Amino acid sequence: MAERLDRWIGVALDGQIKPGSSNPAVIGGNAIAVWRAEKGPANVWEDRCPHRGMRLSFGFVREGMLRCIYHGWGYEPGGHCASIPAHPDLAPPKTICANVYRSKERYGIIWTNLSESPNAPLPDAGPDQGWQSIRSVYVARQVVAVKGGLATFDWSGGRVEEIGEEAAFVSAGELSLLIAIQPVDERKTGLHVVAKGDGAKDVKARLAWAARLERLRGSIEAQS
Amino acid sequence: MAVTTDRAALNEWVACGWPEKVAPGGKYRTVLLGQEIEVRRTGVNLFEVFECDEHGKQGRQLPVQAKYCCVFTTLGEPTRPLPEIPEFDEPDRRITGCGSVGVHTSPFRIIENFLDMAHFSFVHTDILGAPERTEVLAYKTEHRKDADEIWAIDCQFYQPAASKASRGGQMTHYAYRVMSPFSVMLYKNVFDDPTRNDAICLFVQPIGETECLAYMPLAIVDRESALTSIIDFQQTIFAQDRVILENQRPALLPLDPTIELPTRADASSIAFRRWLKAKNFQFGVYEKKAA
Repeated sequence: MAERLDRWIGVALDGQIKPGSSNPAVIGGNAIAVWRAEKGPANVWEDRCPHRGMRLSFGFVREGMLRCIYHGWGYEPGGHCASIPAHPDLAPPKTICANVYRSKERYGIIWTNLSESPNAPLPDAGPDQGWQSIRSVYVARQVVAVKGGLATFDWSGGRVEEIGEEAAFVSAGELSLLIAIQPVDERKTGLHVVAKGDGAKDVKARLAWAARLERLRGSIEAQS
Repeated sequence: MAVTTDRAALNEWVACGWPEKVAPGGKYRTVLLGQEIEVRRTGVNLFEVFECDEHGKQGRQLPVQAKYCCVFTTLGEPTRPLPEIPEFDEPDRRITGCGSVGVHTSPFRIIENFLDMAHFSFVHTDILGAPERTEVLAYKTEHRKDADEIWAIDCQFYQPAASKASRGGQMTHYAYRVMSPFSVMLYKNVFDDPTRNDAICLFVQPIGETECLAYMPLAIVDRESALTSIIDFQQTIFAQDRVILENQRPALLPLDPTIELPTRADASSIAFRRWLKAKNFQFGVYEKKAA
């Protein structure tokens, strides 16, 4: 298992994790499952059922619980196992619990902190309201190369305000971009991008930014 | 890939192919416990097996036996013979292998999945298990010390379509028999005939610690079904298992019961893991790194 730093990492845009679904992601080599009950916030867990090690991102959601695809064990959002179908009359021991990571939804992004004692603050992009999702891109490069690419990219008149550990900020006239940086592994980095401001209200403008991000990906991957 | 140094693994008979894999006079290469070997079919039911050295040249000749629709060899000095499975000699049975299926996981994950009834309703939905009948009733496990085999007996599970011969649901009665760390079989009662059992084997060829070939010879009671549809049935089941097997983490089998938490339905898995631990198996086993 790779090192788990005290740091908030964006793993997805809110809308990418549909109600009643479980989805795989990787942060710094750690396999995680991001799931959402029929309603409510996203949950970020280690992608491993404590029973027989099956990936929980293959699981299915029923009645507010994430169920492992292998034996149907059901886990509540807090992580506790509440149902073992092989023994319908048995109350599962409290010790059976999925490995739950801290998670928050803010600015339209699902953030998680894999540290066992998370203290770091979330990246601060001001008030939570008004953010619109642009898109996620996955770049086949390490995070260092991707940050370098963010700094040198032609932002069509915009400029990079800051490139931090977890996020980058770009301003372009009537629009601000927040780019959450997800180190996937040694070959891949995810960027989850949201925007606010008058320039983000129009669908066409958002689509133009989505296209620019695709060019960003291409320009970083074009460098050796 | 280095050859394992685990004597416990080297000293077992393991499957390395099936007789019809090549025509008489033919040969093929494969890997066993990290060791490349060459299997030659010198007659209809005659085989020779050799180690290949690092340059691919012929090395030491290995013992070989063709039985139960498989070819078996060993890299070490087996402490036990191949198991007796008398069902393969009963004249009214349909005897067939099902080829081989590659699976990227520990051989012991494959054996353990074969022993497991609790997944039927979820992985083999509407075939070996029904979504609304998930309960695993209590069963017994035994370590039969004379043959050094693990058994799970008095097992039963409700199955909508227990076999190709089934024409409806039934409470199927099972007995499971672990004959070696790399071979397991089950007996399950035939549809509409509680006096007869189908015998289904699973022999695992460990290529490496997390890379295997699985062979599933059958000796079953079914006068009606075409052989191809019997084989299709088994392959459908195994394809469903394979998706699970290749997505368990770690791929190596943890023997420490605090790493993967069992429940009552896992009695056979618990017995199997204890047995591997008592044999001091290193190959294919997960060792938690010291903090």
